[in-house]
Amino acid sequence: MQNNVFTDISLNHYLVLSSILFVIGMAGVLLRRNVIVILMSVELMLNAVNISFIAFSKYTQNVDGQIMVFFVMTIAAAEAAVGLALAVTIFKRFKEVNIKFFEHLRG
Amino acid sequence: MTPDVFLFWFLALLIIGSGLAVLLFTNPIYSALSLAMTMVGVAAIFITLQAFFIAGVQLIVYAGAVMVLFVMVLMLFDIKAEIQAFSSGKISGAIKLISVGLLSGLIVGGIIMSQKSFVGEMTKDAVHLAEVQKLKKSNSPDASTKELGMVLFSKHIFGFEALGVLLTVIAVGTVALARSRGGTHHAK
Repeated sequence: MQNNVFTDISLNHYLVLSSILFVIGMAGVLLRRNVIVILMSVELMLNAVNISFIAFSKYTQNVDGQIMVFFVMTIAAAEAAVGLALAVTIFKRFKEVNIKFFEHLRG
Repeated sequence: MTPDVFLFWFLALLIIGSGLAVLLFTNPIYSALSLAMTMVGVAAIFITLQAFFIAGVQLIVYAGAVMVLFVMVLMLFDIKAEIQAFSSGKISGAIKLISVGLLSGLIVGGIIMSQKSFVGEMTKDAVHLAEVQKLKKSNSPDASTKELGMVLFSKHIFGFEALGVLLTVIAVGTVALARSRGGTHHAK
């Protein structure tokens, strides 16, 4: 019997969802100009990766994927903290968070 | 259509819709709220995949802490809707969109092409089969969290410790960075 794509949720569904979310995040990084929105898009990409880790962990019955998600989440939180601190510093210096206005970072 | 299937499609649409909203809103506050919605959707997806502990951590760390951080910084900046939210240049924008679309097509194509091979081989493996049996016996949320803790504090203990050191460095570095005046030239 042929599997129905809409009623049988398999690993592939989760992987495709994850890749679509990743690509949305990547489009955000490429197209937006606000530093903070770019950081948000990076978070979207990390979340997409987490979805595929968890999906593999479920479908291969292996807990290691969940451990990896735990690590990714911690590092993502750290990255957000550092990125936002940089954004605050840049805003104090240039009074602007649009990357158009500080293309020429000189230190 | 069973509840599981409905839940998956509902959450997938929610995640993709709010993910697109992050990209398309020109007001960053709306983007941040859409991002929070995406995080909650991802946490719900984790629950449907029986990763209960990770779903809780996702809610606390992302939907809680990271989003508060984003919104606080946005409030600090006092930004209205932006004049130039998107990068200019129609041709370069089109190239970016095309490359992004190509990437997604390649990934989805790769996933569908490799449909048969992966999971079958993984579960055929004898070592994995033993683990599968063990896990199937303990399928309650309590047991899976216990299993997670066991593996985290035995097999991955070095990574855990390294993460602790990293977080200390990050905490100190962030405070130092935020206190600095920004830039090394034009000192007052």
